[in-house]
Amino acid sequence: MTPEDLRFLLVGAGLFILGAIGFLTRRNLILMVLSAELMMHGVSMTLVTFGRIHQTQEGQIFTIFTLTVAACEAGLALALVLSLYRKSHSLDIQLWSELREPDMPAPVQDAPARIDDGSGSYGDTPKLTPAGIVPKDPPRTKSSAGASSART
Amino acid sequence: MMDWLQAHPMTVVGLVLWAVGVLWLMPGKQAGSTRPKIPGLLLTAAGLFAFCLSCGKPQTQLADEVMFWVFAVSALLCGVLMITARNPVYAALWFALATLATCGLFLLQSAPFLAAATIIVYAGAVIVTFLFVIMLAQQSGAAGYDQKSGQSVMATISAFILLGAVAMTLQQEKLEIGVPVVVAKAKETNSAVAPTPPNMSAMMQASGSGSPAGLPTAPADAPEEKPAVPGNLLSSADPDHAVGDLKGLGRSLFSDYLFAVELAGTLLLVASIGAIALAPRREQGAL
Repeated sequence: MTPEDLRFLLVGAGLFILGAIGFLTRRNLILMVLSAELMMHGVSMTLVTFGRIHQTQEGQIFTIFTLTVAACEAGLALALVLSLYRKSHSLDIQLWSELREPDMPAPVQDAPARIDDGSGSYGDTPKLTPAGIVPKDPPRTKSSAGASSART
Repeated sequence: MMDWLQAHPMTVVGLVLWAVGVLWLMPGKQAGSTRPKIPGLLLTAAGLFAFCLSCGKPQTQLADEVMFWVFAVSALLCGVLMITARNPVYAALWFALATLATCGLFLLQSAPFLAAATIIVYAGAVIVTFLFVIMLAQQSGAAGYDQKSGQSVMATISAFILLGAVAMTLQQEKLEIGVPVVVAKAKETNSAVAPTPPNMSAMMQASGSGSPAGLPTAPADAPEEKPAVPGNLLSSADPDHAVGDLKGLGRSLFSDYLFAVELAGTLLLVASIGAIALAPRREQGAL
């Protein structure tokens, strides 16, 4: 193994580790899937380097199959993410922590995500004095209604 | 272990700087606490340089050296920026850049077909699908779960300890991967053993001149020391085709691995059916 192969192996290991950190720390479902894809890049890099060290085609052929599996995995994972989003109206992974074991403690709930519902929840926007007749049933957008009900 | 620590201080320094940079850039426990990004970026870049510098001095040309540095550092830096991005759209774009840099590294490793396939599949299909899903599912305003990270310190420290262990294993003197097994075919021909092509350009030159490039460079004393391992038929070095040669790749893929190719096609079919079945219907109140 020449030092050049060593460099490529270390870069592959670094990509894998970065993906692992992202998968463990991020709470967005889509970002977790993306981090898994980054880990896949590290594995591909290592496979190609090993194939070149051994001077065989097998490293690249295995990487082609890895690519196929990664494409399938991305499609299925995004379909799963969409159906989870349809249920909870959020991409937060912690909303699904009720799948935990029954003797585990409940997770600490966060403050709800800041949702722009048009009521001027941002601090520095000027507030107008309400004037006129208050409408009976103010129409609410579907997304904000669903999100707030999911949060509460 | 202590020997390794003393022999490779650069690796340790690089790993520590890199880990601190990742921790600095990572969103904290409290939402809204934004640190300035520049020190984290500088720390990460310095750690990356030290980490890559510690891998020894290879004997390559300047152009290959420069390309390796550009691709490796940009791949790892884009990876760091991807996992620390507050906005998922930016994360997807950083991932696309990391993919491009990885494909550059594939090219340096004489895998041009693989680089092209990876760019087509990832940058063409996967990233676009991710961006579609992000735009479908992202809430208006900054989502709280993107501003926070769970267990970032523990995850980063343990992951970098793992990386240090991998580096230590790889940098040990007695580690010998890929001592080439001299296949019987190569022995028969007994041709002049071409040196291992260090990069794609050398490989293309070698294959253009028609010499059997990609032959394993057997050390002169290797066959005497080691018992002659009968090479596996499927994974022995092929002296007719260099590594990454498209002809050899296709021949191997569609002869040795034909069943696996069919299986991969079936897997794609099953996955597409599954994705259609899993995706929310419009009449079910999709999104």
